[in-house]
Order: sequence, then structure tokens, then C-alpha cells
Amino acid sequence: MSLEISRRALLAGGGCLCCAGLTGMAQARIAPSAMTPLIGPGYKPLETDEKGLWSQYERIEQDIAGSNLLIKDPKLVAYLGGLAGRVGGPAARDLRVYLAHIPEFNAFMAPTGFMVVFSGLLTRMRNEAQLAGVIAHEAGHFLRKHQIRAWRDVRRKTDAFTMLGMGLGGLSAAGGGFAGIGDLYQLAQFGTIFSLAQYGRDLEKEADATGLRLISEAGYSPIEMSNTWSQLIAEIEASAAMRKKRPFRGTSLLASHPAPADRMADLRASAVEIQASGRSYDAGRDRYLSIIAPHKAMLLDDQVKLNDPGASLYIIQNLAKDGWSGTLRYYEAEIWRLKGKGKGADEARAVQGYAAAVQMPDAPAEAWRAHGYSLLKSGQAEPGKRALARYLAMKPAASDAAMVRYSMAQ
Amino acid sequence: MRSKSLIAILMSFSLAACAGGGGGFGGYSLVQPKARAVANGKMTVTPPRPWNRVPRSYYDIAEEENWTLNGPILDSIGFIAALKDGKAIVRQRRKEDRQVPVFRSNMTPPEIVSMIESLYRIRGGAAEFAMTGLKPATFLGRQGYQLDYDYLDQNEIKRRGRSYGAVIHGRLYLMLLDATRMHYFEHALPDFETMARGAVLRS
Repeated sequence: MSLEISRRALLAGGGCLCCAGLTGMAQARIAPSAMTPLIGPGYKPLETDEKGLWSQYERIEQDIAGSNLLIKDPKLVAYLGGLAGRVGGPAARDLRVYLAHIPEFNAFMAPTGFMVVFSGLLTRMRNEAQLAGVIAHEAGHFLRKHQIRAWRDVRRKTDAFTMLGMGLGGLSAAGGGFAGIGDLYQLAQFGTIFSLAQYGRDLEKEADATGLRLISEAGYSPIEMSNTWSQLIAEIEASAAMRKKRPFRGTSLLASHPAPADRMADLRASAVEIQASGRSYDAGRDRYLSIIAPHKAMLLDDQVKLNDPGASLYIIQNLAKDGWSGTLRYYEAEIWRLKGKGKGADEARAVQGYAAAVQMPDAPAEAWRAHGYSLLKSGQAEPGKRALARYLAMKPAASDAAMVRYSMAQ
Repeated sequence: MRSKSLIAILMSFSLAACAGGGGGFGGYSLVQPKARAVANGKMTVTPPRPWNRVPRSYYDIAEEENWTLNGPILDSIGFIAALKDGKAIVRQRRKEDRQVPVFRSNMTPPEIVSMIESLYRIRGGAAEFAMTGLKPATFLGRQGYQLDYDYLDQNEIKRRGRSYGAVIHGRLYLMLLDATRMHYFEHALPDFETMARGAVLRS
């Protein structure tokens, strides 16, 4: 089929960089208490170069605000805005959060105070503290003026025109400024370039330490930031293992560097120090799960249909630590079905998974459909038809009802 | 930076493909409004007016062929014929993280739909994909399916698709119209329907 190659497929490699950043050699840990914000409420740029950067990003924000790719569910958007308000430090009232319907582990902070959170983050987080940690890390970039500091730093070292070509060139390439096709993808790409070229490991460490300070001040369990990291690392490793290759995503993030482990260790050590104060912290798990619940099936669907079985299985099994549900069982079975390469074992796992899913009271209608078809395939006509009938009863207006009825009549 | 190098890579592949595939200089070739064997010669369709054959890309499989009226970004019809069990509907590397599921000869209609959906999500960058209809239909004189769907592509353009397909002797045959929801889908649909109704299996 003549599809353009997905820019997202390209970006997936460096996608996590915006919040993961570039990491490198072991360096001294930055104490969260040292991370005082460099800006106050209502911050506006003062210098000419920063004003220029702002005006570019103000146009980008206008485009993003009108993007078809945004998830605009008012409750969810208000929730994310509320979280930014809780962990945004002095910028709490200035931060704007946009939720992009892109199933990647990613978030992006603009120098003007808006951030883009990708829906793939919501798929993966186990509690509110983890999500707040990512938002706080991004807020940390803003509060510590990382974009303009990095911009100036690189300009000192390299030819300014080269930087313009690398950075803002990406904007004008979209056609007459940023207004053009694929705004969010362009932005994700631009963000990656920005990270690669400019956020060094020092700034990522600063953002980590700032984020940790912000979430713990807001009462969130500080250990959750390092848990997010260990989940991401485990997911990438699981993805690679399933495809029988070395863990590698865009950069040598995990190939041979101990750096992510270092960063995780720093976050963990700082969290332990903070927790030693004796204050009680909350992960906000129940609140998070109830907010996400109406969107859970969509988020899992987005992930599972990418057919990255190692990553998807890791994500589902990680979420299942909080308890299995019919939805999780169904999507676990879907992973095996999509992976299936005719060796029998994958398909058998899928069939068992559907059968297990429909045993659960909250099994989605699709689990009954899949279960029904798998029974029909194995020659169990009557139970298969009953399962398909159950699907139609749960979803009388299903868009494939005509096909299902036809299958039942065979 | 990345997109530039990608375009360069794609161009070099498509040029190489043109040179080898005899698609003519520039790659596009005119399809006359008369019966014509497509997709490796495994089925015959008769377009009611001239179409353009899209040059083969690196990502195309041997069993497919693509046509367009106004350029593939606006509209295209894909043909896949006699795809064997265990093969994917797109060319991909074995170690790719994200892979379009392979075709299995015992696939049920919803499984074929989900295979097509994964193609759009993985290769087309579609974040939103909705099946709007799936019903039985006759294709190539056999019992098959008619699938309708809407999706949002990576450029945030709303698109619409329709596919007819059937599994015949364990092999997949399908036709697929993909176009912008605004104007081009409706514009190309009558041609697509005519071709799908008149499609003939070639032995």
C-alpha cells in the first residue's frame, strides 16, 4: 500500500529523548534542594534572543492548540492542567498542557511555558505521582530556563547559522513558518533535535532534581520518578528481547551506557533522602486510575495495535500489578494474536487469553467477539455463536454487526 | 534533519525501483481505460477512465500495485493479489520493533481488518482509526468482505478508506481505496466500485 513512511516511526527512536534527555558519564548527583527556580510567576523574556525564541514558540502554540491530534476530553485536559498547577512551582499558573493523541512515551516543554504530553505516557503510568513526575521534570526545564541557556551555550560553541539551520530550520521547513502539515510530528522532531543538540546531561539532571523537589513538595511519593525510569528501561529491553536484538532506541540510551541506570540511581538516592524527613507521601494511585479508566481501552488499543509485542506485554503486565481486568486480559491476548507467526504457540496463548478475558465481569465486548471467532475456528460452532451473540447484545450498533451475523449463520 | 535524510533514502530507492521495474522515467505511467492485469498479473480490473500507476517503492511487496488519479496523497487504489500465508502486506525488516502482522490463511474478517489497521497505525502514523463498517461482500466471485474506515493521518488530514477482499485457496486478494475524506474519496469511489465489481481472478 502506498503509505508515506510514518514520521512517528522515525521519531519513536528519539521520541523519549524529550523527557529522557541525553545521558552520559557518571556525574555528581544534583541535590533537589539546590534547584531553586530561576523565574517567577508571569515570567516574560527580557533579552532580544529570548524574545525571538518566544515569538517562534507562540506561533507553534497557536498551531498546536488547533491540532486535530489533540485529545480534548475536558475532564482529562483539566486533570493534566491541575497536575501542572500542583507541581509547577512558581510557574504553576503559567503552564499550559496539551495532550497529543500519539502513543509514545514522550513529553515536551516549550520555552514559553506550554508543554505537550503524549497519550502514550498515560498508557504507561501506574499512578498520579509518576505522571506528575514527568510533568514536573518538564516544568523543571522551564523553571531553570533550560531552552535559552542551552541555546546560548551552543551558540557560544558553534556557528550561529549552523544552529539556525538545525533548530529553526526545522520550523521553516514546515512551510512558511510552522503553519504547515504535521505540526505535532514536526514539533516532536524539533523537540528531539532541540534535546539532542542542546539539552546536555547536566540540564537533564537539573530537570530531574527540580522535578523531584516539585513533586515531593506537592506531597507525591518521590520514589515514583525513579520507578518511571525503571519501567521505561524494562520496556525497551523487553521490546528488544522479543525481536531478538540489543536494546536500542535512537541513541545508545541503553546499549552500553550505564547512564540511565545512573540517572535512576540518582533519582532513587535523592528520593530516599527526601523521604527521610518523615513526611508522608502519596502516589495518588486510585485517583489516577479512576481518571484514566474511561480512556484505558483506547490507550491500550493504540499501543497494542503497533504490534511491538515485547513492549506491549511489559506495559500490560506492569499495569496488571494493580490487578487484572477483563480489558487487560483481552489486550494481552490481542498482543499474542498480532504477534502470531504461525508457530501455534502464540495463537494458542491468544485463544486462552480471550477465554480468560470473558470470564471477568468487565470483559469488553470485543473480547466476546474474539472469543467467539476463536471457538468457531476450532470447530466449536455452538459456543462460538453464543459468544458472538453476546458481543452483539453488548454492542447492538457495532459497525461490524452485519459481518458477525453472517459468521453466526454459517 | 532526519526527514531530509529519509527523503533522500526514499528517492534513491524509488529511482532504483523505476530503473528495474520499467515504469518509465519518473515512475508514473498511464493506465488506459480497458481491462488490465494488476498485482503481478493475478487479477484483472477495468478502470472506467484513465488512472496512473504509482511507481513501486522500496516498501512495496511483489504482490501489490498502486494507482492514483490525483497523486497518492489525495487518492490511491491499492491491489494485492495472491498473498501467501505468512507474508505481510508491506515490506518490513524482521527485527523492526513494530511490525504489520503477517497474513494467515485462516484469518477471520475482523483479523484481516486489524491487520489493515496496524498497517495504517505503524506505517501511516494514524493515531485514530475507526472501522465504520464491515459486512459480507462478493469479491472476485467469492465470498469476501467490504470494509469501511476513517482515520486521521500523521499530517492531521482526515482520510477515508474502503476495501474489498477475499481469501481464495488460502491466499489474500484485496482492493483498497484510500483518499482524503474531503472530496477525493467520493470522487474516486464510483471508479473503485466499478473496478471492484468487475474484478476477475486470473489463474
